[in-house]
Amino acid sequence: MIDQRLHTPEGVKDYLPNEEAFKIEIERRIETIFTRYGYVPLSSPTFEYMEVFEGMGSIKPKQMYKFLDRDSSMLALRSDMTPAIARIAATAYDKSDIPLRFYYIEDVFRYNEKYQGKLREFTQAGIELIGVNSADADAEVIAAAVNSLIASGLKNFKVCIGNVLFFNAVIEEGGFDNDTYLKIQDFITEKDFAEAYKLVKESQASEGIKSIFEHLPVFIGGKEIISKAREFIKSKAAIDALISLENVFNILKAYGLEKFIKIDLSIIGNFDYYTGITFRGYAEGTGLSVISGGRYDKLIKNYGADFPSVGFAIKLNNLISALENQKNAIPFVYADTLIAFTEEGRNTAVETADELRSKGLNIENSLLGDDMQKNMNYAEKKNMGGILYFSDSENVKIIDMTSRDIKDVKISELLKNNMEGKH
Amino acid sequence: MNYITFALAKGRLADMTMELLEKIGITCDEMKEKSRKLIFTNEDLKIKFFLSKASDVPTYVEYGAADIGIIGKDTLLEEKRNICETLDLGFGKCRFVVAGKKETAERFNKSNDLRVATKYPNIAKEYFYKKKHQTVEIVKLNGSVELGPIVGLSDVIVDIVETGSTLKENGLEVLAEICPVSARLVVNPVSMKLESERIIKIINGLKSLKAV
Repeated sequence: MIDQRLHTPEGVKDYLPNEEAFKIEIERRIETIFTRYGYVPLSSPTFEYMEVFEGMGSIKPKQMYKFLDRDSSMLALRSDMTPAIARIAATAYDKSDIPLRFYYIEDVFRYNEKYQGKLREFTQAGIELIGVNSADADAEVIAAAVNSLIASGLKNFKVCIGNVLFFNAVIEEGGFDNDTYLKIQDFITEKDFAEAYKLVKESQASEGIKSIFEHLPVFIGGKEIISKAREFIKSKAAIDALISLENVFNILKAYGLEKFIKIDLSIIGNFDYYTGITFRGYAEGTGLSVISGGRYDKLIKNYGADFPSVGFAIKLNNLISALENQKNAIPFVYADTLIAFTEEGRNTAVETADELRSKGLNIENSLLGDDMQKNMNYAEKKNMGGILYFSDSENVKIIDMTSRDIKDVKISELLKNNMEGKH
Repeated sequence: MNYITFALAKGRLADMTMELLEKIGITCDEMKEKSRKLIFTNEDLKIKFFLSKASDVPTYVEYGAADIGIIGKDTLLEEKRNICETLDLGFGKCRFVVAGKKETAERFNKSNDLRVATKYPNIAKEYFYKKKHQTVEIVKLNGSVELGPIVGLSDVIVDIVETGSTLKENGLEVLAEICPVSARLVVNPVSMKLESERIIKIINGLKSLKAV
């Protein structure tokens, strides 16, 4: 038996101050970008009726945290923000409000597999652009995604864009019987391109379609991938899918972001509700994707409104581990200054501390007494800029923690100096 | 330039893989020397290799600790990891079967309290529950699974066989075929995107070898 008082369950974790402060800072930066693109915040309940999530092409019920309400209604913890926002958009807004631009930063709960290092409670920051189906809308959302990653300080990342319609059209053009069709889809979902190709190779599909499947895992690169794929297909649906991908790519070029973008025709959405452009962000430093998103034009119909939409979620925990592995983590700072004092200095000290706080400085009052060495050790450990040591009601020592210089000044002078320093 | 890291399954599969890679110009002299080293590097090509237990290869690749892995389909089926299976390398061929004593055949076809011993509980479960629609009891063993039916621990076994001679020597027969197995080139999905040029070159090189 483990002593459960001392542990957290599988898949959840504590965030100690340095980690939590870093996470909040990243959230703030991402939020700024979302706001700059005109998105407004919204929040949904942490749990709601399971039917909101079930059968929407989202997370499977098996992966949800489910429980019963007192009246025996089946409830589920939020497993994906998009269905929740779809419900809100359909019930609280109508056509006259279009387009809707929402952003959220929320915790999401999923029963992820054990022992794979995946969290079961994790944070997502995302946007949904609701009510418009156009390349401009797709490109705007992808641009916001790329700029959010840049703002977080992430280096060496790529956002790979594809179109689920392309793959659907290719399968259609292959003319497979239903059994083969389902098998191919299973293999592709499992990323088993080798088995999928074997099946297609032995089928009646055209040489072009066979070549598509042969190249599928390596159909990643710049815009040239689109023209390369174009040679292998004939159906209008497949051509249209490539054209719409190209349109989005061209607009992203106008945004000046093409160096962050890759075309990836092997992409098929991780959720069944995707109906067009889908994309994923990958970064050096994590084996998991940091962003996933796409167009979902039919999802909101399930809740009674016909709003074509596009959106994405940044997987904040994956982003943070990438930033840490890239050594781009933001150093954690406790308070700027430590205020230490003797009995006689106390009154002036606490008064001065609050005055400095009102000027915008982060001040920590020392509770360690008047031992200078103890206070210096503490300030050093907490990475503080300096110490103000109030020897009595008149005299202060200013200790610069970087240079270890100690300066004696009068209280009146200290506040004057500080004002000058600020200007 | 970043290193591209290969995870190889210790043993015969690793030897065959290195032979194949050598043909497309990827070599590692360090590996040929006898040593206790765990990681081998080719500084000119910026490539690293390491050897691990077969069942750990998909884990290393999923987490991105290795960009590329070469591993049997049997391990991939059992581990079910989020990695790209890009190429069937065609060697290391064998098959998954259900085997047992000849007289178990009828029980195997009808009973709903069959006891199955295996190193691959996921594959066994998938086969009996999803394909054969039969409720069974699965017992996980870690080696010499053939012992199961002989000493009366289980009715049948699910295992990989190459020629079937081990089964025969122990008086067991193949009762059903589950699926064929061979070595696969698997790639971490992130490496596939970030290092696509170099990885695609390796995939295409190996593919052209197969065509010859």
